[in-house]
Amino acid sequence: MPLFGKSTKGPAEVVKALKEAVNSLEKGDKKAEKAQEDVSKNLVLIKNMLYGTSDAEPQADIIVAQLAQELYNSNLLLLLIQNLNRIDFEGKKDVAQVFNNILRRQIGTRSPTVEYICTKPEILFTLMTGYEHQEIALNCGTMLRECARYEALAKIMLYSDDFYNFFRYVEVSTFDIASDAFSTFKELLTRHKVLCADFLETNYDKVFSHYQRLLNSENYVTRRQSLKLLGELLLDRHNFTVMTRYISNPENLKLMMNMLKERSRNIQFEAFHVFKVFVANPNKPKPILDILLRNQEKLVDFLMRFHTDRAEDEQFNDEKAYLIRQIKELKPIQGH
Amino acid sequence: MDSNMCQTSKSFDSETAEADASYEEENEHEIATAEFGEEEELKPVDSRPNPQLWITRNSSHADFDDDLENINISNFFHRVDSDQIIYQSKKRRLKLVGKYVMGDLLGEGSYGKVKEMLDSETLCRRAVKILKQRKLRRIPNGEQNVQREIKLLRKLDHKNVIKLFDELHNYEKQKMYLIMEFCVGSLQTMLDSTPDKKFPLWQAHDYFLQLIEGLEYLHSMRIIHKDIKPGNLLLSLENQLKISDLGVAETIDLFAKDDTCFIGQGSPAFQPPEIANGLEFFPGFKVDIWSSGVTLYNITTGRYPFEGDNIYRLFESIGKGVFTIPPEIQEPLRDLLLGMLEKDPYARFSLQRIKRHTWCTRQPSPEGLPKVPVPPLRGDMWHSLTVLPYLIEHYYDEPLEDASEDDGSQHEYITERQLNEMDERRKQRDRTFVVAENSNGNAQSSSSSSKKSSRWKKTISCMSFKTIPGCKQS
Repeated sequence: MPLFGKSTKGPAEVVKALKEAVNSLEKGDKKAEKAQEDVSKNLVLIKNMLYGTSDAEPQADIIVAQLAQELYNSNLLLLLIQNLNRIDFEGKKDVAQVFNNILRRQIGTRSPTVEYICTKPEILFTLMTGYEHQEIALNCGTMLRECARYEALAKIMLYSDDFYNFFRYVEVSTFDIASDAFSTFKELLTRHKVLCADFLETNYDKVFSHYQRLLNSENYVTRRQSLKLLGELLLDRHNFTVMTRYISNPENLKLMMNMLKERSRNIQFEAFHVFKVFVANPNKPKPILDILLRNQEKLVDFLMRFHTDRAEDEQFNDEKAYLIRQIKELKPIQGH
Repeated sequence: MDSNMCQTSKSFDSETAEADASYEEENEHEIATAEFGEEEELKPVDSRPNPQLWITRNSSHADFDDDLENINISNFFHRVDSDQIIYQSKKRRLKLVGKYVMGDLLGEGSYGKVKEMLDSETLCRRAVKILKQRKLRRIPNGEQNVQREIKLLRKLDHKNVIKLFDELHNYEKQKMYLIMEFCVGSLQTMLDSTPDKKFPLWQAHDYFLQLIEGLEYLHSMRIIHKDIKPGNLLLSLENQLKISDLGVAETIDLFAKDDTCFIGQGSPAFQPPEIANGLEFFPGFKVDIWSSGVTLYNITTGRYPFEGDNIYRLFESIGKGVFTIPPEIQEPLRDLLLGMLEKDPYARFSLQRIKRHTWCTRQPSPEGLPKVPVPPLRGDMWHSLTVLPYLIEHYYDEPLEDASEDDGSQHEYITERQLNEMDERRKQRDRTFVVAENSNGNAQSSSSSSKKSSRWKKTISCMSFKTIPGCKQS
């Protein structure tokens, strides 16, 4: 077959050839080099069918449909992801591109690949564990975020035990992987508002005990990012129930007050936006009120000197003034 | 229907104020150059030594006086029959506001002008809303609404909601500059440019989904927009929809148990029955659902579900909640419209339900009618950077002006015949210069739009004249 010529292979043949190549790559026998080459070559062929090349249009819908069907039947998507670390650099990128394209495919109101993955959730779990392998973490990340766009897939991921691994992934020492994991994590927790709110409500204790660890992380970036995301989650109207629950727990208030005193000004500032919710709450539970009362003077004093150089930020100053007034006017509940 | 019905009620009184204000504006700036060859439309600033100079308005007159003695008298009294005088085109003068370079007018809202701008530090294209206090005061709640909008926009960050980047004040001129995301037009201007006043379904689908995304974000930030309509939905150059004008938006309290609202503001034709019937309170988020429903109805059919000769009739009709959907609208869109325009706000679709609706999840086929484009701005369908000519003028002014002397344009006035000659010459040059300037085609037909095409090369412009020698800014 000519190296750069037009392929005459149909989808079924390409998928078959690719599957064989991946299988022999997996076995790691002495023909590995040849297998590697075959994998790359066939991946390019599939990619070109979907995306076209500089001088060829993408294949007609019917061919793409055949291709997708072959991919489902052969279980090749899972196989590719499982062996992603064995595929060469360009090949890894091609896998991600092929995967994302097939995922986006729609027939009328149906997304066949989404339906397929729902029946094969291993694909999602394998992708999530991808964050543990440095060489494939970012490729898996792009595929995961594409999956997270679909509510059905996001739901599987959120409600799986593997989701809690994200609390570990976002803290890994490799910065680019940690950031990538965090953006996937954030996407899962914010993209589908109603789904996320339900998830946070039903799994409140588990999620927030894990979340607490992020807020106490040794890693500055983790601490700052997770605090910012916490603020966004609590202030989102969809998460109203979660917010009321969060701000009734005195432990959370203590944590925020400590973060207000952190060395980093950015963390102080993010903490302020969570702290204000505790104070603004018109129905403060007694333990919360007690803490605030005990620190009444200190808090007023502290807030008076808090980020005074943000003179141009009107909103911040309004909010600060409001908090100071609120705290000054705090009174113990009658009868105590 | 009365066009006022589609206006936000807040701007009812602004119409007249606007008219005379902009008239004054004309007088201030657009002076024909017959009397004095060098009155300039824009503030003449030589910003090289001192870019902030533009604030002092009177500098040009001072310069004029100073230079009078240097004027070449014979040139000054050059005799031309009055009917042969062609007015000089706008002189492009670089104007800076803060770090932003001013471009051309994009449009006019009820609060003031909107112009294009370029951030000179990031080179990002921006739009600036210029608000004049004088104008604002004449609009009921004008200043309040603007302050509220600024406060809201500052904390918002979503791809389908217009972004506010910066806020500048000029207390001397009592002007406020709001630096916003650059947009090419609103859905309304696009609709107006079509005969049927509607989009092909696939295009409407695209915009509607983006509207829903943006709306979901606003609602998650506890904001009720209250004035969703095609006129407030802008498009970026990348065809991304941006919800704009949060002037009457309301934020519900962080601890409010529900989204109950008491005040209905916004454009009458897009108001829900609960407001038309004057209910004391109503669920706020459902107001936006209704007006999005009217918007969807409007952009897919070219009509409004409820009409009336005056606001009372209109509200009467909305209050009854009875409307018909043209037969050409088929399922599932019919069902979606019925669900969004449900009279009972509690039974009306939620955003979640809309997002899951078959019409939204199904990818529409891009067949059928061709895409409705954003109408061109002053003949430029590509909406090219209007700041560029000012920069070119500013930095390459001198050498080009010298070159134009060969053009025979050393006269400050020019006759029809000379114009034609130059036009001819320009066409010839156009053939030799292959410049990817898209508005060239229509520019050749009329002299008024030729300034658009000539922006790249000053020398070929038929409207570029040498000003009176000696009157040039040094």
